[in-house]
This record gives sequence, C-alpha cells and structure tokens, in this order.
Amino acid sequence: MAVYQEKKGDKFMYLMKIAFRNLFRRKSRTLIIAGLLALAIFFALSFDSFMGGMMDLSFSNIIDFESAHMEVGSDTFFEDGEPDLDNVFYLSDDILKEIEGLSGYVASTPVIDFSANLIAGREEYPTVVRAVEPDSFERVFKYHEYIVEGEFINEGQSGLVIGQSLAELLEIGVGDYYTLLFQDRDNSFNTLQGEVTGIVFTPNPDMNLGKVIVDKSYAASSLGVDIDESSHIMARFENRDIAAEQSSILSERLADSGFAARSWREFSDTMVAMEAWGDLEIQFIMGLILLVGAIGIVNLVVLSALERVEEIGMMKAMGLKESEIVKVFLVESAGVGVAGGLVGLIFGSIATALMNNFGVDLQALYGDATLEMGVPIIGRVYGTWNLDSYILFFLFGLFVAVGASLIPSYWAARKNPVDAIYHR
Amino acid sequence: MALIKLNSVKKIYQDGEISVKALRGVDLEIVEGEFATVYGPSGSGKTTLLNLIGALDKPTSGKVQLNGSSIGDLNKNELALLRRNNIGFIFQSYNLIPVLTAYENVEFALKIAEDSKKSENREKSIKILDQVGLGDMLSRRPNELSGGQKQRVAIARALVKEPRLVLADEPTANLDSETSRGVLELMLRMNQELNTTFIFSTHDPMVMDYASRLLEIRDGSISREERR
Repeated sequence: MAVYQEKKGDKFMYLMKIAFRNLFRRKSRTLIIAGLLALAIFFALSFDSFMGGMMDLSFSNIIDFESAHMEVGSDTFFEDGEPDLDNVFYLSDDILKEIEGLSGYVASTPVIDFSANLIAGREEYPTVVRAVEPDSFERVFKYHEYIVEGEFINEGQSGLVIGQSLAELLEIGVGDYYTLLFQDRDNSFNTLQGEVTGIVFTPNPDMNLGKVIVDKSYAASSLGVDIDESSHIMARFENRDIAAEQSSILSERLADSGFAARSWREFSDTMVAMEAWGDLEIQFIMGLILLVGAIGIVNLVVLSALERVEEIGMMKAMGLKESEIVKVFLVESAGVGVAGGLVGLIFGSIATALMNNFGVDLQALYGDATLEMGVPIIGRVYGTWNLDSYILFFLFGLFVAVGASLIPSYWAARKNPVDAIYHR
Repeated sequence: MALIKLNSVKKIYQDGEISVKALRGVDLEIVEGEFATVYGPSGSGKTTLLNLIGALDKPTSGKVQLNGSSIGDLNKNELALLRRNNIGFIFQSYNLIPVLTAYENVEFALKIAEDSKKSENREKSIKILDQVGLGDMLSRRPNELSGGQKQRVAIARALVKEPRLVLADEPTANLDSETSRGVLELMLRMNQELNTTFIFSTHDPMVMDYASRLLEIRDGSISREERR
C-alpha cells in the first residue's frame, strides 16, 4: 500500500468551498461575531477620524494664530518661556538669510511679545501683547481673515486688535480707548494708549481671550527697545512636515550661536501629549477589538467543532491531515474577519464622511471642558480620512480572527477519529 | 501475501476506572480480493476490529499490519495518507458533509485522493452515483435526502476512488432489500473486476449471503470462521 507518498489532489479548492459554505451554515452566529468585529472596527475608525480631525485642526489653529510654523529666538527666550523684554535682539542678516534659505520657506515676521495689563474704563485684565509688523504679519498669520469688527492695525498707528471674548469681558469695542500698562526694558512702568481698531474671533479660543496685537513701530519706543529689535522671528512654510524638518536643520546650524529654532510641534507640547494620548486610546480600542474578536472567534470555532465532530472524524477517516482540517477552520475564521472588517470599514467610512461633511461640535459634546483641556478649537471638528488606519484596522481584525482560531482549530483537528465518528 | 494481518491484537477502552476489553487477542489474515463479513452481537467488537484494520485506531497490544506495514509504526500523517489512498469507509451514520451536494460529497473523496483530471472526476462521480441509483439527485444536499439515499451517497463516496480496501459498517442498515441487493452487486462487481477487498460488519443475512468468508466475533474474539 502506498503509505509514504502523498498524491497531490485538487483538494484545496474543496476545502475552501467547505469553509466558505460553513460560514452560511449558522448564519446568525456568523453575523453576530462578524458584527461585533465590525462594530469594534467601526468605533476604532470613527475615533481615529475624529482624533485625526481634532489634532489637525488644533495644530492648524496653533500655527495660524500662535506659533506659526517656526520660531527663532535667543536661547534664553526659549528657556524663560515667558514674554520678556530681556530677550530682544537685533536680527542679523545672516540669521535672516538662513531662515529665508530654508526649503519650503514662505514668509517670516519679527515680533515682540511682552506682558501687560489691559485697562479699559475701570476694568483691568492681564494679557500678552504681541507687537508686530502688520504687512509681514499678514503673510505669516491669519488674523486678517477673522476680523469681525473694524480692521487690522496699520503700521505706525496706535491701534489695537483684541479678541472678541476679551472685548466682551472688558465691555470694549471698536473706537473705544485702551491703555496697556507694562514694565519696559528698564523695568520702569510705562503705557501704550490708543483706540481699539479691530475685534477678531479666531477658531483658537486662547487667542480670543489671552492676547492683543499692536503695531511694533508704535510700541518700540515705549518698550525701550529699538525698532529693529525683536523677541523672536516667526516663519511660515509650505506645510507642517517641511517646517518641522527645516526647523531641526536650522537648530543644528544655529547651535552655539546663542539662537535656537523651535517648530510648531515643539510649541504645541500639550497637543502633542494629547496626540500621544489619542494614540494610546487607539491602542486601547485595538486591544478591545482583539478581545472582542478573540472571544467571538474562539466561541465560533469551538461551537462549530462540537457541532461538526462527526464530520471531522469522517474527514480524518477519508485521509485528511490535521493541518488540512485546521485550514478549513482558519479559512472560516478569516471569512468572519474579512466580513466583519469590510462591514466595519464601510460603516467607518460612512461615519467619517458624515464627520467630514457636517463636523462634530466640540462645545456641544464636551462644553467648556475642551478649553480646560487646552484644546485650541472653537466650533466644529471635521473628520479626516486616514488610509493607513483603514488598512491597519482591517488587517488587525483579520489577524485577530485567524490568530484566535488557531488553538481551537488544532483542538478540533486533533480529535481522535474513532471518538469523533462515534461522537464519544 | 496477506493484505491485512492481525497478531494477538487487544484493544481495551478505559473509561475512568472501568476497562472495557473490546478485543481480546485477535489473530486474523485477510488476503487481497476477499469479500469478508464480520458478524456477531452488538458490543462483540466488530466495529473496533474494523477501526483497527482501517488505521483509525491503534491496538492496546499486538500488531496490525496493512500490506506489511505495521500501523503502530506510522505517524498521524502517514496514517492519514494510508487511509486517503487505499481505504474507503462506509459508516452506519453516513457522516456526509452537509454543506456539499451528493455529487460534491463523492467528488471530494476523489479530490482528496487523486491527481486526476477534472473531467474524469466528474465522470466517475456521476457514474458511481448513477450506479447506486442517485443519478438524478446529484445536486441535493444531505438534508434533502432520505436515510437510505444518504447511505447510498456514503457508499458511492467510499467506492468512487476504487480503493484497495473497503470497510463497511452496516452498509445496508438503512436500505430496502432491492436497493441493498443493487449495492451489494455493485460491490461484488468491483471485487471481481478490480480485486478490491471488502470487509463488512453486519447483522444483515443478505450481506452474509454475498460474503466469501464469514467471521463470527463474540466477546472480543473470533469464535467461528467459514469460507465459501
């Protein structure tokens, strides 16, 4: 008898056929387990899209209204971390050329940040003042697009641009007088006075309450600094990725010069931490998929094996090897994984499309908690499409389905054929 | 040379503290081409004997040889290949694959065993189903067949690959006498034309009538033997 030589048969397709049809044998069971997997993938994708949208918008709001893509200042400016006139410097042509020569460079603007108390009538409020060159500032930031009343400041004028929230708090409007009380470079108290020229309402809530903008050439003499001095230079690039990359290149070039460059990413440490927290949540959801999928699949395979014990015995009697019987179960599980994954992707796509079109109102969801958490967003967050996540979650679901079925499949396939056939 | 040789074969089933001696030292030789029937009361060890001959189980002691190879020396995969290529089983409980049609259940046995052409598989499968009287039920699934029809599909499945050895446990239990006769005639023809060895376990006198060798088994031992 031919014992040792295996005759190769066209059996693989038959095993696949059996596995595929078995999926429809207990439709409700297959549906429930695939459904659970789909639900988990749907949640993961929706959350990923929401988080992606939130992070994207947060970073945009930080870049467009706070940090620009890159800041260049003295080492002490970054070390202090507080708006301080001690750190102002003359911008040398060499540094400017270095900045302008960076790949993807679009524009830059020099600014002076300092602390002051804004006085309007009887009200006084501590704030950070950003003294800017209006023309170049417009090329780097987007305040001009969010003026809700009045106009942006002009060079050489005493005007002030204030956020809507602060204006409401101080009950101040366009044309009203303001006074900024501060300590100048010599630590003497000094003031800037003028009329409010514009009110802005930006998507970044911090900017609406915490900062006001004045013209740098008007403020310089009162501050005790030269008109060509700045506390830092802020630059815009073609996109964020280039900016982050060019910022580290510039940092290396500026090493030991007393100056440093910082990208939007380093500035947004809270958001970066939140992004890491979001990644952790994604990992948690993936763990949940693993758990849900694994329990479901193990349950599916064990129940199927118990139901089909006589069939398994017969297959062994017909000469199928254990590994071939395992394949049948693995393909069935993979089928559940694919079905659950695809349904999850479809519903995840629908959720993302809805989030993309209609957005999610963060304030409606979390109220003021978003501001307390430091999320620089006002209004709606729109979902993002992330192809990598789609591939990752689908493959992960499939991996979980197949991986979880390995042990129960072998358990089923290793049954003694006699015990299986006679169901002992 | 004997196709099947059993030397002092014992099989004891252990169920907790209870030992059941299913076979108590069986010696048996069956040469190729025999049409043998094992009979005896329920629980006498008929099915156990067939399972050992079919390499589905291993003896507790003694030796079972198939064509000179001791099944005790073969690993699981080698035993699977031995069954795949040489043995056809017919079980009383049919054990058809419910998700395959009658035709597919039969063709599956061929697909497992042979590297033959698709057209030949199809032809062989249809022919054998026709021979057992199911030519018009090819596309029916097991749940659409009666007990007797299922039994005939199981018989067709065992015979289609033309194995050297067919082991049949009560193959006619669910068949009427006319169908039983037809199936036995088919098996006898295979036995005569292809020298296929058949071993039946049965209570059916008709099957015993067809047999060229009768083996009576009682209390785990062969108690009587008759050649015709």
